[in-house]
Amino acid sequence: MNVYIYDDFLNKSKYNRTINRLEIKLTDLGLNGKIIRLGAIKNIHDAIESEIKNGAKTIVAVGNNETVFKTAAAVIEHQALSFVPQKTLFFIIPIGKNDNSIADALGIKREVEACNTLLARRIKKIDIGVAGHNYFIEKAEMPSENAILEIDGYHLEVKEKGVISIINLAKKSNIIGEKIPKPNDGKLDIHIKTRDKEESFISVKSFKIISKGQALFLDDSVEIKTPIEFGVIPGGLEIVVGKERSFE
Amino acid sequence: MFNKENRTEKFKDAETIIGGSIKVKGNFHGQGNIVIEGCLEGSLKTNANLFIGEKAKIVANIEAQDAIINGEVYGQIKIKKYLSLGASAKIFGDIQYEEISVEKGAIINGQLIVKQENEASKRKEHSKPEEEQEELIEEKE
Repeated sequence: MNVYIYDDFLNKSKYNRTINRLEIKLTDLGLNGKIIRLGAIKNIHDAIESEIKNGAKTIVAVGNNETVFKTAAAVIEHQALSFVPQKTLFFIIPIGKNDNSIADALGIKREVEACNTLLARRIKKIDIGVAGHNYFIEKAEMPSENAILEIDGYHLEVKEKGVISIINLAKKSNIIGEKIPKPNDGKLDIHIKTRDKEESFISVKSFKIISKGQALFLDDSVEIKTPIEFGVIPGGLEIVVGKERSFE
Repeated sequence: MFNKENRTEKFKDAETIIGGSIKVKGNFHGQGNIVIEGCLEGSLKTNANLFIGEKAKIVANIEAQDAIINGEVYGQIKIKKYLSLGASAKIFGDIQYEEISVEKGAIINGQLIVKQENEASKRKEHSKPEEEQEELIEEKE
């Protein structure tokens, strides 16, 4: 059974037509399932946990990056913390032109076109980034000034103003040498770009960031404070992907 | 080999790039190619190639397969194969290598040591014909 998690913003009337077309397409393809609207539930983790226990095979986030951030965490936690975890697939139906970089990197096309990708069921395991008690799929970002990164046996000090990005998944690279991060290599890519266009790049399994008073954003959705420890859950999420994804 | 001609390509192959605004302290050990443009204190080791930029300052013992050094290094340098010192390189420490090229303007304040293993293997190569000759003499007898 598929369970579709609709984000709050889809309640707006401007999305009615898109949602109607989407539901018709899903029914035509025989992919229809239960719909849960985020606005109507208080605890998304409990709701998803309960659906998985009741036999949900695929959890589908319908919305944008923020919807993915909220729903994927519940699926990951179920896989990571359950005594006998049930195999649950994850999928994204991206709605709207913006804020869908996670779906883009996974090769999933927008709205109705995503239904064909779900039908094709091309499944890949991707790593999940861990920041303290939070999970992220795409990236974490923070200002670089006065940040210290403690890595195995050494530490990096960044004095200049700029941005530190901790990347797990990306559609294309802004990184020097056009390196495209691999979300299935068991590592996180740290990219530091300072104001004077100096770039640094390092790939690691775990590290700690210390920075006075600087906040860190996970998947452009949640703000957390440093110091914080980062790690990876290798192959932490089984996800249905499109042909035009950014990785093998 | 990590040669001078493909300097512009170095970033594509590099597993780690330390930019000019970064200071590294500690034992920095990697498996892939490393590019250092900033400062490093401690030790620097890789099984692959190393590129040290013009503005880089390294206070560390260095070990690598091949290396191109254009910056300042205070410490012992052990390169398994090929070392290239650019015109802006300043080395304060002993250097061990198999092959070396030094551009005009580079400063070296230390000993240059050709790798011992290489000499040993050369000796073996030289000794081979003598053994063969002995065998031939024995056969004649």
